[in-house]
Amino acid sequence: MTATIEPPVSPAEPAQPTVTRSGSSMRWLGRYGALLVLGLLIAVTSILEPETFATTDNAINILNQSALAAIIAMGLTFALVTGEFDLSIGNVASLSGVVACTLMLKSDFSIPMALAAVLVMGFVIGLVNGFVVTYLNVQALVATLGVGTVVIGLNYAISDGSPISLDDPDAFINLSFNRFLGIPYPVYAMVALGILLWLLLNRTVLGQAMQAVGGNPVAAELSGIRVDRIRVIAFAVCSACAALTGFLLASRTGSAAVAAGDSYLLSAFAAAFFGSAVLRDGQFHIIGTVVGVITVSVGFNSIALIGLETYYQYLFQGLLLILGVGVGSLARRRAAAA
Amino acid sequence: MNDISPEHRTARGAASAAPLLEMKNISKSFGGSHALDQVSISLRAGQVLALCGANGAGKSTLVKILAGLESADEGEIFVDGERAEISSPRDSAALRLSFVHQELNLVPKFTALQNMAMGSDEQGTWGVLTTRRVRRQAMEVQERLGYRVPLDTRVEDLSLSDRWMVSLGRSLMRSGRVVAMDEPTASFTDEEAQRLYGVIDELQRDGVGILYISHRLEEVLQVSDDVTVLRNGRFVTTVPASSTSRRVLTQHIVGREVADFTAAVADQETEPTEGRLSVQGLTRAPKVLDVSFDIGRGEIVGLAGLVGAGRTELARLIVGADAPQAGAMTMDGEPFAPSSPHEALVDGVALVPEERRSQGLVLADTVVANLNMAAIGAERRLLRPFRPRASTVSAQRMIERFGIKVRSEKQNVIDLSGGNQQKVVVGKYVVTGPKLLILDEPTVGVDVGARAEIYGLIRSLADEGMSVLVISSDFEEFAICDRVLVMRSGRLVDDVPAHLAHKDHLTSLCFGTSEQEQIA
Repeated sequence: MTATIEPPVSPAEPAQPTVTRSGSSMRWLGRYGALLVLGLLIAVTSILEPETFATTDNAINILNQSALAAIIAMGLTFALVTGEFDLSIGNVASLSGVVACTLMLKSDFSIPMALAAVLVMGFVIGLVNGFVVTYLNVQALVATLGVGTVVIGLNYAISDGSPISLDDPDAFINLSFNRFLGIPYPVYAMVALGILLWLLLNRTVLGQAMQAVGGNPVAAELSGIRVDRIRVIAFAVCSACAALTGFLLASRTGSAAVAAGDSYLLSAFAAAFFGSAVLRDGQFHIIGTVVGVITVSVGFNSIALIGLETYYQYLFQGLLLILGVGVGSLARRRAAAA
Repeated sequence: MNDISPEHRTARGAASAAPLLEMKNISKSFGGSHALDQVSISLRAGQVLALCGANGAGKSTLVKILAGLESADEGEIFVDGERAEISSPRDSAALRLSFVHQELNLVPKFTALQNMAMGSDEQGTWGVLTTRRVRRQAMEVQERLGYRVPLDTRVEDLSLSDRWMVSLGRSLMRSGRVVAMDEPTASFTDEEAQRLYGVIDELQRDGVGILYISHRLEEVLQVSDDVTVLRNGRFVTTVPASSTSRRVLTQHIVGREVADFTAAVADQETEPTEGRLSVQGLTRAPKVLDVSFDIGRGEIVGLAGLVGAGRTELARLIVGADAPQAGAMTMDGEPFAPSSPHEALVDGVALVPEERRSQGLVLADTVVANLNMAAIGAERRLLRPFRPRASTVSAQRMIERFGIKVRSEKQNVIDLSGGNQQKVVVGKYVVTGPKLLILDEPTVGVDVGARAEIYGLIRSLADEGMSVLVISSDFEEFAICDRVLVMRSGRLVDDVPAHLAHKDHLTSLCFGTSEQEQIA
């Protein structure tokens, strides 16, 4: 469970890799292939549906559609970079919406207070995930599945299984629908959080440590990196982002359904893995994840505008994931062999 | 093993029959150096043949060839007089050759029985009947060994020696003809070792040929019928165990008359240096026992010993990668008790690990990222900004200083040669400016030119005042050291000044031939 999905390269003769023409073009395909898919998708749909697809309004619409998925997927990227998994994010998002609405409805929390409360809650759930993984030494897959299931239980205990709607949801709903300079708030949230998380991952000691832990935990530990601590923080960031997603999701309707955020789990994984094939050689990174989310949104948007049935969305997303990661991996292997 | 069983005598008497196993004129070289050069051994049924030699003498390579893990460049193998082609572990299993290694390849979560079943010939479907048959077979094997391991206990809950017995038992499920045991008693208590000797007796009586590899010469003399000595990949001699002694064996292993170096104590007065690290009674049983020594400022100290003597384990204790059971350390007079490599690094003590690929590098990452890893690890504040440009500059400086050959500092380390990778690993710790640098086997898999460069680097670091502890199994490397400590079976047994620290002397000390048992 490492952060790279690099194929094991044979240790034979690491001396001077000769860069051949096919090798370098393969390398190019491995790095830019995923972006090529996005470009092709935009080009083809623009030609097919010039009036509806290639418009500013639709572009903003696509970004808005991407915002929540991007936030949760960027959080997940932290867990993946560190070489871990988090299967509880969908459940945390659902719980977050329910808790936020319950606090506002029953305890008269203001919107910022409710936001702060769910962020803290997400952070704490992440700490629990990290504690189970590092201290109890349970595999992340199992640990987060268990914690996620407990989270579902809490969710039902709070909500009693029925959706929670605010009495006066306007202010809350406005969070999702108000625009600044013609762009909805969630897009700003996505961009701001993206910058923040990018900085955290690429311009802090913490982020470098996370990448080292994901690359080789033994070497990281012997290099003085406090591996367990780093892992716990990664889980906490991941869960907090999931909670933020759940909060924003609830603000779309001013109400929270018990399983509203569950579907984000798979789309976040798909986006992050697809994104690992963007620009980098199979490493998870923030920009890749965002590109992954946007590629899926563009695809869904195209499918809807061209008028294809809904099931095409699943076919598209599944194939995109397999081809994006598979072709990237194959191309790198070819490049390494050439 | 003085009372030899009648069967055993017969086996020994039947010299005319073809030997159970014969390896003839085996040669193998790795990149130009001969690991084995025309080595021949022969093993009869019911015979215990010990293989002895210093580190790198070629014992492991010989066994690996027999196990099908390496292929010989030249030579032939005969089993029961018939020529055998062994090109994979499967081939060697089909010839009923069994191997019990130190690194036991057992599945920890499986029970002893499940593990033994993996070695069974019963390849039938997993029905109730088969399980019962396997269990009966396992009981028979244990009967034969005269040693019982709880079959339904998970292997992870067993003691080391019991695990070893499970591994041995597994190899016997396949009715082995030849069993090769590599350093079997390295982590055994005396009592456990005695039980193993009993088991070996039983196997002998059953006509199994045993290849016994051990550094412990007393044990070799006790257990084996004959001893074959290898040196630098060449066959030296085969002598009956009954007619030799530890001293004679050591002579064969080292290659010449071993002088008595008891006078060494007098020479021990090297120029006194300012103290840096002081270790008192450091213990973590069974690998490190009551180790005490000092390293001065700017001093290069070697740590010699045979594989498994506890050197790496000692290094891990010093940097807090493992927790000691007893003992204390000081750095520059201050108490030093790191609970993690992080704390050791903050206090200026770095360990360059033995396995550069698995413990030293993130292979899929760049040279810059790898060179900065320990600097990242030494940083206490996690939210401190990371400056890529500054880190590139510091990496470039290190690349220049160490002469690391790269096309670009953004190149992935996986593309570098072994020597350059090693320089990256050393460099990453030197970036943090440690006061004490511990190098575990710094030149394994490094070519001669890079090796000399690494020695030069170590020397120049010491000249700047850095203290260095070098662990090596290549005793020629200790030429750069001011003095050499010798570890044997977890204990520090000698402190040899530079002018006496030549290979032969150190080798004989590692085998415990010198009279000196403790540091004076």
